Amino acid sequence: MADAMLVTIVDDDESMRQSLPDLVSKFGFRVRTFTSAEEFLASDCVARTNCLILDVAMPGMSGPDLQRELSRLGQTIPIVFITGQRDQDLRRQLLAEGAVTCLFKPFSAAALREALNIALGVS
Amino acid sequence: MVPGVTAALKRHETLLAEIERVSSTGGFCWHAATGKMTCTDEVYRIFELDATKPVTLQLMGTRIHPEDLPLLDDMVERASAHASGFEYQLRLRTETVKYLLLNARRSEATDDQALYIGAIQDVTRRRLSEDALGTLRCELARLARVSSLGTLAASIAHEVNQPLTGITINASTCLEMLGSDPPDLDGARETARRTIRDSERACEVIARLRALFGKRGGKTESVDLNGAAREVIALSLSDLHRRRVTLRTEFAEDLPLVTGDRVQLQQVILNLLLNAAEAMSAVEDRPRQLLIRTEFDAANQARLTVQDTGVGFGPEEAPRLFEAFYTTKSGGMGIGLSVSRSIIESHSGHLWAELNAGAGATFAFSVPARESDCGAHDRSVVGAPVDTVRLMRRA
Repeated sequence: MADAMLVTIVDDDESMRQSLPDLVSKFGFRVRTFTSAEEFLASDCVARTNCLILDVAMPGMSGPDLQRELSRLGQTIPIVFITGQRDQDLRRQLLAEGAVTCLFKPFSAAALREALNIALGVS
Repeated sequence: MVPGVTAALKRHETLLAEIERVSSTGGFCWHAATGKMTCTDEVYRIFELDATKPVTLQLMGTRIHPEDLPLLDDMVERASAHASGFEYQLRLRTETVKYLLLNARRSEATDDQALYIGAIQDVTRRRLSEDALGTLRCELARLARVSSLGTLAASIAHEVNQPLTGITINASTCLEMLGSDPPDLDGARETARRTIRDSERACEVIARLRALFGKRGGKTESVDLNGAAREVIALSLSDLHRRRVTLRTEFAEDLPLVTGDRVQLQQVILNLLLNAAEAMSAVEDRPRQLLIRTEFDAANQARLTVQDTGVGFGPEEAPRLFEAFYTTKSGGMGIGLSVSRSIIESHSGHLWAELNAGAGATFAFSVPARESDCGAHDRSVVGAPVDTVRLMRRA
């Protein structure tokens, strides 16, 4: 699958970075992981990423910070936020700023698949 | 007698009686061998005895709480063994319960080894206000714990949801791998292993919570401040991350154990940590750095320091920092620091604040190392030679 779409995961939590890639590749996507927003921005992945799975709360630059930074850079990568905080206000705000969705942890594999399909326009 | 001297003596006597009444302290003179006893007016008043009748030990005994009567026998016994002095806490069963402090010394003015001079002080009011203060302190500590719980709840949810998500995702992936053709058994084994690891991680969070908020009150135990601080940090970490605070720790390896209530001490550490994070929430022009350090200081005390790069406090705020209900925060209840200080003082320690040379402030407390005698929760009687202190009080 040379032209499989690239899903990039940015999360400071190790168990997320270990568990999500296997599942996402089972869905048929290529996967890259980063431990921080800064690391992702400095990588060569920004322009190639088709969808971003992005943690909200991270030390240093937060998920929403990265969302704003990408938009400032003119990058329109679809973003699926994931967060351990069940904060509906924050969710509304993130969606208003263009996020595809915001999944509250713990979310199911089906919910993630659906979110990725919407983000990537796959049915 | 010369009239002038009589008048002066009379004035003197009136003054002494006045002092006795003001201090709720009566004097007595007791000849242990004969049982003969002379008392001042205040003793009569305290024991609510008929002032026209001579006081005897037996008569006093009729007023003393039955459970404390053995103390009276003890006193007689010690006096017959010519003890140099003694001190007792007694309760009276008068109209209301009274708490007394009885203190006596063998008279040095005569060679008579059976003559004791002493004072009886009614300490009921002090005792009751101490009890009330103790209750208030417990109440405030609980209140502070509840309010920080609110702040912590979000961070705990985050902490638990993380491994739960791992469990869900790993188990789903495991099913996918088993369901593929041919089944990816190695992949399935790996994801199953990760599922177990994540559930262990969730259990650890629960265990930490239980340790921190478990139902234990006013316990006295040996506490390792490093370990206590590590637990608090583990629980606050995601909260600190959310607030974009970088945490650094410098823990002394030779830190001695301290004596006290582990949960209360953790409450103090948590308060200091949350305060520091709060003080840095508006800081945008410099890193939000938190340093937690433990050390064994020169005064044989274990010290814990929390240093931030926050907004600090103004000179006019400094004296008020530890006042109850004083707060500069809109969301805070303002009881954290005053309760923290009272908890530390109940551990015979000190809690203080100072401004950093650079930005921010440093809050620190020190409590005596376990080796030194630490009477944190012991309302013991001091001031008398050790061998004469006989303390009997109800728990």
